[in-house]
Amino acid sequence: MPIQINRAVLGKEFPPYAVTVERGKVKEFARAIGDANPFYLDDRVGAASEWGDIIAPPTFAITFRDEAADTNALLRELGTDISRVLHGEQEFEIHRPLQPGRTYLCRARVSDIYEKTGKSGPMAFVVRETTVTDSDNEIVAVMRGVTVVRL
Amino acid sequence: MKYAKVYADGVNVGDELPPLVKGPVQQIQLTRYAGASGDFNPIHQDDEFAKAAGMGGVFAHGMLSMGFVAQALTDWAGAGRVAKLGVRFAALVRLKDVVTCRGRVVGKSSKDDRHLVELEVWAENQRGEKIVTGRATVELPSRA
Repeated sequence: MPIQINRAVLGKEFPPYAVTVERGKVKEFARAIGDANPFYLDDRVGAASEWGDIIAPPTFAITFRDEAADTNALLRELGTDISRVLHGEQEFEIHRPLQPGRTYLCRARVSDIYEKTGKSGPMAFVVRETTVTDSDNEIVAVMRGVTVVRL
Repeated sequence: MKYAKVYADGVNVGDELPPLVKGPVQQIQLTRYAGASGDFNPIHQDDEFAKAAGMGGVFAHGMLSMGFVAQALTDWAGAGRVAKLGVRFAALVRLKDVVTCRGRVVGKSSKDDRHLVELEVWAENQRGEKIVTGRATVELPSRA
């Protein structure tokens, strides 16, 4: 019998959390992708750049998670677990590159939940939108992730 | 030339990104990406877990493929020039797969001294199957 997704999670807002970008993590992330761009890896190139320091690759904000939170809590609340979920879609709006040493505030919420039946059966789509602001409360990035739950 | 400077003036609708070939994808890269990203879902590391979950074995993080697509954009437009990137993960990337990232300019606009170029982007495996499809916007400097 297919499982039911708990639609009460729609609109849920997560407690805001702060993330300070570590220099080594920016470089580790670029290297893991195999991207040797000197603007991500070379402190001297960063210092001489228009940003005054190295910057993070476009998808780096995906690492911004609330380390104090239980990462599986949302899946449990939805009524599923990690073996039944896939990453369906992802979007980043980047207003300014993220940089090491800066502290950003993340506000995340479940912005949509919908169901569809695909080739492999019924699925639920859970959209989580995270707004990232800097210390001046300016939006630097918005990310939207769609998690697909196999029902 | 890699990391050559691109200006909005020289970009036209229909232009194609230089293709970026990544891989073959190896387990060590998925392990490294897990550490770098904090995504330790065992489905990308543990073949037995992935099989038990009905996925037929380990596959790459979608975000790794998206990172490849982002690299194709920044290799061309420059680091820090991507204003928007949105993708759909269309098919799984398996170990030993070779991923080729591509893109094509579909629009150009200028407003208040900001020059934006819109692209259709995608990545395909060695069989030509699309594994990622999406859209991107890059902001480029102008010579004018």
